[in-house]
Amino acid sequence: MSREVAAELERDPVYLVRTAAFDGPIELLLTLAQRAEVDLGAIPLASLTDEYLRAIEHERPPLDRLAAFLVIGARLVQLKAAALMPEAQVGEEEDLQAWEDAIKGRLEEYKRFKELAESLMRRHASGRFTFAGLLEPDVIPQARVQVSLDALASAFQQVLDRLPPPGPVTVEMEQVSLADKLEELRRMLVRQPQLNFSAVFRHARTRLEAVVTFLALLELIRIGEARVAQDGTFGEISVHRQEKKDEA
Amino acid sequence: MSSMVESATQVRDTAGLMAALEAVLFTLNRPVTVLELQDILQSTLPDIEAAATNLSQALTGRGLFLQRHQDQLQLVTDPAQADVVRRVLRPEYPSRLSPAAYETLAIIAYRQPLTRARIEEIRGVNCEAVLESLEEKGLIEETGRLDAPGTPRLFGTTMKFLQILGLRSLEELPPPPQSASTSS
Repeated sequence: MSREVAAELERDPVYLVRTAAFDGPIELLLTLAQRAEVDLGAIPLASLTDEYLRAIEHERPPLDRLAAFLVIGARLVQLKAAALMPEAQVGEEEDLQAWEDAIKGRLEEYKRFKELAESLMRRHASGRFTFAGLLEPDVIPQARVQVSLDALASAFQQVLDRLPPPGPVTVEMEQVSLADKLEELRRMLVRQPQLNFSAVFRHARTRLEAVVTFLALLELIRIGEARVAQDGTFGEISVHRQEKKDEA
Repeated sequence: MSSMVESATQVRDTAGLMAALEAVLFTLNRPVTVLELQDILQSTLPDIEAAATNLSQALTGRGLFLQRHQDQLQLVTDPAQADVVRRVLRPEYPSRLSPAAYETLAIIAYRQPLTRARIEEIRGVNCEAVLESLEEKGLIEETGRLDAPGTPRLFGTTMKFLQILGLRSLEELPPPPQSASTSS
């Protein structure tokens, strides 16, 4: 803080501190504290702040004075905290001016990014996207589904038709989880690496169980642990165990 | 299979390598790293880079566009054709992002890679939620960890970021306004 500024502030202080250890403008307190000429340890900053808050309730100072108190107060807290921390030292060059410059720099930086954000937003809103081809790269390879989807669906319909139709709805907890069915299917395929489609559903007692089993089968196909094939157009669909990652 | 490899090794001239690169990018239809391409095209890194530059130039004025993010290449449609492609594809139209999201994206795009702490320092607010949402949308990703206490995550933009802005590469971002500040 320059001498003139200090003198100016002395005439019209942001706040007059009245404590046992220090009596005078808060600006002076900061200057002395920065030079270690006053012991901040002896000055209760909490009660100083409380008194300030009480004071401004009576007479509200202009915004810049409030801001000035905040900056000085924050700096005092920082200095006091630093003094209380062993081996922590606040650099001498780190004076109020540098601090202000840093804050100003940060605001400017933020403002620049705000402008950039607006240009990104305008670009995005223009809708001039680029698109990749229609097929997602994780499409299931043909090698795993050598059956037409219609054939697969009608085979599943046959399974459902064999099961009792849904009766009057009774609400009860049915314990069929996809994870369990996945495990069950995996075990079946380990025992028997090639199964008839209908054999996959031989344990299914309800339609729900059959549906979950079918989902589990689709999942195994998706993750590459099984594939389905068909003997001729109306032949039986078979499910084959696959080792993962064995096809391109 | 072996005949394919043989014919690939025959493709040595510049134009041939460019055509092979185009064919591979077309069929794979996903971001492909130059490392992968070295293997697929049985070629060297400088040759692939040259082929990519040639392909990019050859596509000028065409409907396709060679997009590049870091070491990944992808063949996509030209942003100038976005309307017509949208008519046939009917892709999910990503809704606008929040102002906070664009701000965060801008910071990451121009300063990547950087940590959440650095982003929060610039924005002055907590950015956890917005980062999470951008990551979920696939617009940013973790690109590594900073070698500092706690090894914080480093964030960078993705290929998808280029796609929603119709940019060929990050170099096509609008130039940042004159900066007086020191970057991280």
